[in-house]
Amino acid sequence: MKILIIEDEQGLLESILAYFTGEGNICEYATDFIQASEKIALYNYDCILLDLGLPGGEGLVLLDKIKKMKKRDGVLIISARHSLDDRLAGLDLGADDYLVKPFHLSELKARVSAIVRRKNFEGDNVIVFNEIRVDVSAMNVYVKEKQVFLTKKEFDLLVYFLSNKHKVVTKNAMAEHLWGDEMDLSDDFDFIYTHVKNLKKKLTEAGGQDYLRSVYGIGYKFGDL
Amino acid sequence: MRLSDKYNRANLFTSLIVLIITGIVYYVVIHFILTERLDRDLAVEENEIRQYTNTYKKLPLPASYIDQQISFKVFNGDTTNIREFTYTTYLNPKDNEVEPGRMLITTVQLNGKVFLATITKSRVESEDLVRIILLITLGVTMILLIALIFVNRFLLNRLWQPFFTILNRMKGFEVAKMENIQEVPTPIDEFNELNKSVNEMAAKVKQDYKELKSFTDNASHEMMTPLAVINSKLDSLLQTGSFSQPQGALLEDIYHATGRLSRLHQSLLLLAKIENHLIADVQHFDLKELIEAKIRQFQELFERIDLHLESTLENCSVEMSRYLADILLNNLIGNAIRHNHHSGQIKIKLSKDQLIISNTGKNKQIQQNLFDRFSKSAESEGMGLGLAISKQICQLYGFEIIYEYIGEEHFFTVQFNSKD
Repeated sequence: MKILIIEDEQGLLESILAYFTGEGNICEYATDFIQASEKIALYNYDCILLDLGLPGGEGLVLLDKIKKMKKRDGVLIISARHSLDDRLAGLDLGADDYLVKPFHLSELKARVSAIVRRKNFEGDNVIVFNEIRVDVSAMNVYVKEKQVFLTKKEFDLLVYFLSNKHKVVTKNAMAEHLWGDEMDLSDDFDFIYTHVKNLKKKLTEAGGQDYLRSVYGIGYKFGDL
Repeated sequence: MRLSDKYNRANLFTSLIVLIITGIVYYVVIHFILTERLDRDLAVEENEIRQYTNTYKKLPLPASYIDQQISFKVFNGDTTNIREFTYTTYLNPKDNEVEPGRMLITTVQLNGKVFLATITKSRVESEDLVRIILLITLGVTMILLIALIFVNRFLLNRLWQPFFTILNRMKGFEVAKMENIQEVPTPIDEFNELNKSVNEMAAKVKQDYKELKSFTDNASHEMMTPLAVINSKLDSLLQTGSFSQPQGALLEDIYHATGRLSRLHQSLLLLAKIENHLIADVQHFDLKELIEAKIRQFQELFERIDLHLESTLENCSVEMSRYLADILLNNLIGNAIRHNHHSGQIKIKLSKDQLIISNTGKNKQIQQNLFDRFSKSAESEGMGLGLAISKQICQLYGFEIIYEYIGEEHFFTVQFNSKD
C-alpha cells in the first residue's frame, strides 16, 4: 500500500517510516503544510496519516482540501490533542480514524491496515496469510479452508497480529487495543497470555503452523519462522 | 464591625462631646452675662442711694420691693475696699420662698457717719432664663443626635448600596465562566472608580487565566509529542534485533513508565476539562446497558484473580456524557478489582437512583482523603487520580459519591438524585 505521512516531528516521522516501510509498502512523507498540499494534489495514496498541528497551517484544512478534491484516500488523523471536539471535527470532515499521541506503532499499523482494507476491497474485506484466511467483515477465520471458531477477543487479536506481521507487538499495545486505553489497569498484562495461548492452540489444532512466539517477555511476534 | 456602625459611633460620640462643650460654654457665658446685668442693676441702685443721701441728707427707707431688698447698718471699721458682689439667698416675701440672689455690699457716707448698705436682688428670673436656654440647647442636641442616627442609618445605607451591589457581583465572579462584572450605575465618583477598578481587575484576571490555560494546553500538547517520539522509538527499537532477557526486562520497564506518564497526563487533562465544563455531549441513556458492557469488558480481569461477581441491575436512565459515564465505571469497577484479594467478591447493584459497588479488599485502613488527587495507598499501582476524577464527574452532574467501609467490605455509592 502507498502511504503519505504528514508529520512535522522528525523523530516520530522516522519511526513511522521505519515501521511501515517494507512488505511492499511505499511510504512518502511531508513535514509541513505546503509540502503536504503539493503531495496530496499530485498523487493518490491508500492512506494519509495526518498530524493536526503543522508548520504553515492546520491539518484540518488539509483534510478539507482532500475531501474537496473528491479523493478516495483514507485519512487517519494523528494528534496530540486529546479533545473530543477535535476528534469529532476530524471525523465530521471525513477522516476515517483518529489516533491520539502517544500511540503504539502497532496500533497505528492496525488502524491504517483496516482503513486500507475497507477502502480497497470494499465488501470483500479479507486478509490472507499462508494457510490462514480471515474474512474481516464476516468475522470468519479459515485455516486451510477449514473454519476455526474464535472468540471476539481472539479474533481481534489475530487481525491485530496479521496487520503487524513480523513485528514485535507489546502486551501493553495488545491490552490497549483489546480493552481500550482508558481502562487504566495494573501494568500487569499477563491476562493477555490466556488469549494468546488459546488463539495459538486453535490455529495449530486446525492444522496451521505455529506462527506466534513470545519475545523477551515484553510481547509477541507473529510471522514466518 | 460594619463601616457604618464604626462611623456612626465616631460621629455620635463627637457630636455628643461637641454639644456638651457647647452647652457648658453657653451656660457659663449666659450666666456671666446675666450676672453682669444684675451687677449693673445693683450698681444703679447703689448710685440712686448715694444721690438720695446727698440730696436729702438722710438714708432712704430700707425699702422692700418685690425683687429687691435694701438694708443699712452703721459701720465703724475701716471702710476702704468695702464694695463687693456676692451670691446669696433671697427671701421672696410674696411667696415666702428662698430664691437664689445677688448681693452688693457697699458703704454710704452720711453726716460723717458710715453706713453699710446691702442691696439684694433675686436671681430667679435669670436662673430661669439660663435653664430655658439650657433646655433648648439640650432639646436641640437630642433632636440633632436622633436626626444624625436616622440620616446615618437610612441615607448611608442607601449611599452604600452600589458598593454592596458591586461586592455581590465580585463574590459571584467566576474566572472560568469568562463573564464580565456588570457595571452598577451610580452618580458617586468613588463607586464609579471602584466599579472601573473591579472591572479592570476582572479583565486582567481573565486575561491571565486565559494565558495560563493556553499555556497549560500548549505545554500538555508539547509534552505529548516527545512522549509519542519515545514510545515510537521504543517500538522501533524492539524491532531491531534480538535482546537478552535482562534487556527485555529493561525495555518493559521503560514501556510501563511511558505508559503511566501518558495516562497520567491524559487523566490530568481530563480533570481540567471536567472542572472547566468542557465536556458537553450530555445524553439520555440507560446505565444498565453500559454496566453490562463493562462487566463483559472486565471479564478477564475478574477471572484472573478468581473474583466472584454479583450484579443486580435495574434500569436506570441517566443524563450525562456517555464518555464520562464510561470513565466513572472504569474507575469504580477497576478499583474494585485492583484493590481486591484473590477469590474475593464484587457486588454491583444498580437501582433507579443509585449505584452501589462493593468489594472485599486487601486494605482495611481507610484514607480520609480518598477522593483527593494523588492520594493512594502505598501498594496501589494506580495513579491516585481515578477517584478524584470520579468525584469531579459526580459533582458535574450533581450526583453524590460516598465511600463507606462496612463489614469488611468497601462500598462506593453514587446517588443520582442527591439534589432532590
